[in-house]
Amino acid sequence: MPDSVTLLFAFVLALAGMGWLALAMEAHWEQVYGEAVCSPALARRLRWLGGLSLLGALLLCLAVDHATMAALVWFMTLAAAALVVAFTLSWRARWLAVLLPGIRAELN
Amino acid sequence: MFQNLRLSMAWLHTWFGLVLGFVLMIVFFFGALSVFDREIDRWAIPSSRFEAQPMPSFDQVLKPVFETMQPSAERIDQLRNKVNGPVPTHFTTPSVWGAYTTHRDPVLGLFVGYEVPNAKEHDTRVFALRTIDPRSGASLPDDRLKIGSSFFYPMHYSLTFYWKNVGYWIVGLAALIMLAALVSGVIMHRKLFRELFTFRPNKNKQRSLLDLHNLTGVVALPFHFFFAFTGLVIFAGIYFPITHTQLEPLHELHERLDAEETGLPHDRAGVAAPMASVDAMVVEAQRRWAEKGMAGEVGFLAMRHVGDANGYVSIYRAGTDRIALTGEGIHFKAFTGELLREDPPSSAVDSVNEFLTGLHLQHFRHWLLRWLYVLGGLMGCVCIATGFLFFVEKRKRQHAKQGSQGARVVDALAVTTVTGMVVATLGILIANRLLPDSMGAGWPERQAMERYIFWGAWALAMVHAFLRSAPVAQGRLNPAWREQCLAVAGLAVVAVLLNWATTGDHLLRTLSAGYWPVAGVDLFMLAGAMVALFAARKLKQRAQRAPVLRPESSGPAHA
Amino acid sequence: MLGGYVFTWGGIALGVAGLFAAGMEFHDAEHLCNILGFLVFLVVFLWAFAARSMPRVWLVLLGGGGLMTASASLIQHMLV
Repeated sequence: MPDSVTLLFAFVLALAGMGWLALAMEAHWEQVYGEAVCSPALARRLRWLGGLSLLGALLLCLAVDHATMAALVWFMTLAAAALVVAFTLSWRARWLAVLLPGIRAELN
Repeated sequence: MFQNLRLSMAWLHTWFGLVLGFVLMIVFFFGALSVFDREIDRWAIPSSRFEAQPMPSFDQVLKPVFETMQPSAERIDQLRNKVNGPVPTHFTTPSVWGAYTTHRDPVLGLFVGYEVPNAKEHDTRVFALRTIDPRSGASLPDDRLKIGSSFFYPMHYSLTFYWKNVGYWIVGLAALIMLAALVSGVIMHRKLFRELFTFRPNKNKQRSLLDLHNLTGVVALPFHFFFAFTGLVIFAGIYFPITHTQLEPLHELHERLDAEETGLPHDRAGVAAPMASVDAMVVEAQRRWAEKGMAGEVGFLAMRHVGDANGYVSIYRAGTDRIALTGEGIHFKAFTGELLREDPPSSAVDSVNEFLTGLHLQHFRHWLLRWLYVLGGLMGCVCIATGFLFFVEKRKRQHAKQGSQGARVVDALAVTTVTGMVVATLGILIANRLLPDSMGAGWPERQAMERYIFWGAWALAMVHAFLRSAPVAQGRLNPAWREQCLAVAGLAVVAVLLNWATTGDHLLRTLSAGYWPVAGVDLFMLAGAMVALFAARKLKQRAQRAPVLRPESSGPAHA
Repeated sequence: MLGGYVFTWGGIALGVAGLFAAGMEFHDAEHLCNILGFLVFLVVFLWAFAARSMPRVWLVLLGGGGLMTASASLIQHMLV
């Protein structure tokens, strides 16, 4: 797999990871799903999923570059991903519903 | 001083952040631009718009050029206070010849350091610089300003304020305060993790601004911290010159011991000797690197004690594939070409230091990481700018009621440092395209003209910002923000069009040829224009919606 | 801030002299102490603002800094 595709996947994993971590927070869950309840068990699972996804992004980065560079690429990718998730929540919160197929997003 | 930690940190963050924030805006913005300094150079110097070149043959291309290089009149003039007797006009004893290139350099920078006869201090040197086209050895004219690497980049670490290194100190202080602001910001921000993704643009202005300030600050916190910190470490020699002042004797002791150990002569022998083939030494160096599993290109070539029996040649590897700035230096005796020394692997401390400096100075080849650095730098700018805006918003109405001018002044300064700075940047790029090749008698050099136009444009922006700031004293928005956004959008488009008009390299051509450096600069400016237009439109909408507050109004108190 | 600078100068000076005397390579000692030095400066700077007693701050910064600087010169004197 060419390097740029690997790094693209890393970014996608980072995005998903940040998205799941955000959904695990009550305020953001409400933004996306409205009245639907988020059980503590689900919130915990979301956090695990988020963390693992971020770790996956790191592994992909390491596959492409020398360790020192990969670490930096990973840190900056996380920052970019967090920024994108934050802006999505501000203006198109419903888009994050794609991260949990099976739960309907709040229609408003 | 304060009742508790949080209050003291809040005071520190607000006031030191405000004052040094203006300097930090400059540092972050020009730092972000400096990631692509050599690409900006190529935009500014059309004759250098070709592919990056490896280090050329020393024996055939570089040696003839080195032999003809002499210091400029300006540099010779600076020697006046450093010599006993008349200042020499011609120099014959080079103590060092150097050539440095990276994977992003089409043209090659050369320097020669000459010994100065009759100097008051025996290790005084005068330098000659030259830029050549490595494919042919032809020299480029000296008065072309490399706007990226010789203006924006020095602006970033010294504000080009060289008198007694004051600029360096101001930037250093700002960096320290940046670190303090980051830590105090974290202490102040109670819900750091809970509000990590929080940005509420539809709430009241103060809340939205604070959200954005926190978002851009926290999300890139490691980046902001590390860049300020590594920047300080890089210039530690300036800020804490301990080993050249108080502990100088220890330093000298070490140098003597070191010279004996490494076999690299400290001084000339005084016996003339010709140089063996450096190209052969380069081949040998590359062979040794490959043997160690670190095959690579030559990054830096240096010859010391040129023409002397003690002369030696040092060859360093270009650091393209890793963060750390290792050199893997290999040294040869100039006269015979035999190996003198292969630099041993770095110690633990050295490796850490190389990593930290390499992180900041970015000699590596990784385009994605570079763009991510630019993103980080721009996030820093947004963080600082929203900080200013929050400061003004919070106090604007209060000051309006009290008839105070405080918020107005800060707001005008904020306009100057945010949009004004961008106006000045575009100004110098436009001047670069419009000024004639040689200015003619009576006018300052082209390089100097470009710089004057930069500062002039910035000064104009400042005057404009202050003249238009009266509404802020009444609790309203300064129209200068919108007007300068429109100016930025216009100037950016003009710059791109001028590039086309004066060089023929319009976007369709550069993109289809895959010539990213110039296309990248043009595209970045166009994207900036779009952002500026969008901002201007939003500001107009906001101005039309905002209520008008009069100082003697008896309206309800605002939250 | 000045107090912090004096304190950090002293810290770096003592660190470099001490480590060199103990056998560490000179430039290594220098780099290590520079890196630690800026972190120390940061901490000390923040402490100066958060601390409750101003006289105590001055005593530690100027006093400590002065003491460390002098010790560094002493070590240097013994080596050179």
